[in-house]
Amino acid sequence: MQINILKDIINLKNSKKEFSVITNIKTSKSYIFFINKHIDNDLKKFETQIKGLYNSRKDGMINKTDLFIKHYHRPIKVVIVGAVHISQFFVEYAKSLNLDIYIIDPRGYFASEKRFPNVKVINLWPQEAFEYCPLDDKTALIALTHDPKIDDPAIQEALNTKCFYIGALGSKKTHENRCKRLIENGFKEHDIKKIFGPIGIKFGGKSAPEVALSIIFQLMTEIYKK
Amino acid sequence: MINTFDEKILDEAYQWIELKKTVILATVIQTWGSSPRPIGSLMIVNDTGDFSGSVSGGCVEGEVVRQCLDLMKDKKKFKKIEFKVSNESAWNVGLACGGEIAIFLEKFSDAD
Repeated sequence: MQINILKDIINLKNSKKEFSVITNIKTSKSYIFFINKHIDNDLKKFETQIKGLYNSRKDGMINKTDLFIKHYHRPIKVVIVGAVHISQFFVEYAKSLNLDIYIIDPRGYFASEKRFPNVKVINLWPQEAFEYCPLDDKTALIALTHDPKIDDPAIQEALNTKCFYIGALGSKKTHENRCKRLIENGFKEHDIKKIFGPIGIKFGGKSAPEVALSIIFQLMTEIYKK
Repeated sequence: MINTFDEKILDEAYQWIELKKTVILATVIQTWGSSPRPIGSLMIVNDTGDFSGSVSGGCVEGEVVRQCLDLMKDKKKFKKIEFKVSNESAWNVGLACGGEIAIFLEKFSDAD
């Protein structure tokens, strides 16, 4: 691998691009491959195989060649509503996971940079914040304020945009009430059932770091199911 | 959806290179049987013998570091190495899981 390719990989990863690196193990020459860009002439012959492996995201030697392919995946977007104690631990634990985290909280004293250094914190109401971090079916939405004024509009937007994971903090009772409000707002029971509420995998821990861990575990499980 | 953990290892390799160290990037390119780390796993080694990342569950890392230090002294810039159960040195370093792996080593230095 050429040193400039190494530098390019680091920059592309930081700018959250999706790409593959193909290395000829007989020459050590590497190429960066993008699905929508012109393929290097050296690789032209293998374009179909490379595209196939890109789509299946399978790392490995390309059949009957000296080429090794490794894929770099775009991080999964996670939007957390509530710059709360649990969110601080979530961010801490998620450092080594390939997640792109946004935190939304209209309350300035929660959404401070001091509490969340190096995290994208948006100090706005969810409806306004979603202009800066729109939700879609490849986004996870985690509602942690358990204040309906803040969580409900975020959960509604997550249901409308079909977020692949929606989790909401609160007791069973809190969640029942939340579901009732969603029904009143015209949401279908079938969709509401997809919300993980109370959020997280139950293992007994109730402290902020333990709840954060249980949410990460549940989220990662859903990521691998999709 | 496929997710990987966010490997900072290439960033670390580059930092070492900037510090004028010679660095070898080791990539698992093939596996057979039950190998502890998947294809694409990365490890880096520098000329002082520091290493980061992993290519197995700790079974062959020591031997990989040794091979990397050898390659640093060599004119060659890259090399493929294999660890098999039948291979005596692998047995000694203990790929006890019964798997087999092929690792590609690539050398980087600031002079490149």
